[in-house]
Amino acid sequence: MIRVRLLLTAGLLMSTSPAWAQQGDADTAEVAVNGNVAPLCVLGSPSPAAVDLGQMVATSGTRIGRIAVLPNHVVNLPGSFCNFAGSAIDISVSALIASDASTLQPGFARAVNYTASIDNWSSTTTSATSAATKEGGSPTATATGDTQPLPKIADLAATLSNFTVPSDLLLVAGSYQGMVVITLGPAAGGGS
Amino acid sequence: MKTYLQLALVMLGGWGAATPALAQSDSDTKQFTVIGTVPALCAGGTIAGANATFDLGVLVDTSTGFLRTDLAAPAKTITGSFCSIRSTIRVEATPMTAQTFTAVPPSGFSRTVDYTATASGWTTTPARYATEEAIHTDATQSRATAFTGDITVALSQFSTGGGTALRLVSDPSYSGTVTVTLTAAD
Repeated sequence: MIRVRLLLTAGLLMSTSPAWAQQGDADTAEVAVNGNVAPLCVLGSPSPAAVDLGQMVATSGTRIGRIAVLPNHVVNLPGSFCNFAGSAIDISVSALIASDASTLQPGFARAVNYTASIDNWSSTTTSATSAATKEGGSPTATATGDTQPLPKIADLAATLSNFTVPSDLLLVAGSYQGMVVITLGPAAGGGS
Repeated sequence: MKTYLQLALVMLGGWGAATPALAQSDSDTKQFTVIGTVPALCAGGTIAGANATFDLGVLVDTSTGFLRTDLAAPAKTITGSFCSIRSTIRVEATPMTAQTFTAVPPSGFSRTVDYTATASGWTTTPARYATEEAIHTDATQSRATAFTGDITVALSQFSTGGGTALRLVSDPSYSGTVTVTLTAAD
């Protein structure tokens, strides 16, 4: 009686074996999962959103009426990145021009030139210096930096410096405005 | 059915990822303005030459005691003046008066010399101030633009205070003052 039971048990074991073999052969499928990442460059919002140089001329002394020594100003563009290799930065700087559009008098200028530079994208500093005429003509200068060979993220810092007036002339009174435009994108002849 | 669902998820995921790519691109541009101001400003400049004194010498004809008719002094030039906006120039003058003889002069005598001061170069019409006149309509002149240039201050039309019939009292020093004022007309 005991032997029979054992045999029955073995029979049960044998009967399970075909079931395993059948499941392993049943089905196998592969589903491909594809995706892509678009090339992106994103610049952080400028902080501060505008640079106010305040009063720009000396109001006493031998340089009265001429441009004072103005400190550098830094604008941050935090978290700026390009997710691909081969990007470059482009800086366009426009001189500050007086809002007063009346005929410029001899001895005066209505433009303040300056340099905008960014040194933490590629291995070399990218800088552009405006060269407006005393009347405010040709106020914009541009520069393109070296290629950044790797995807990169950085808190870009644009430094404004070297504020000068054509021929160091007297500045006409009024409000002045200029602009800096920064572009981050594929380097010419490379990149994405 | 299961496979179908999986594909649908992949497609949705694909669309979801594609949307930011459409909004962004492989380049980005940000800009900021740079502003500043220059105040309305005038500077008086400096007077060229050794000093700021018109020296007329002896004022009277020593044979008559009357004021000389040929009094003259070289004009003074003020350099380095400017206004960074439209402006006015005003000239004011005080008669030359005897500095030691300060009492009321006796009959027939005077202790003042009147004259006319002009400041030219700044405006088309020179600013003019005659010390003997009560009203000085020409003393202030306006210009509509910023300017920098020399201002020439000249004296002329000397006359004896009180009338040409009077003689001047003797005094080692007769003195008056000419003041030129530039004002920014903001």
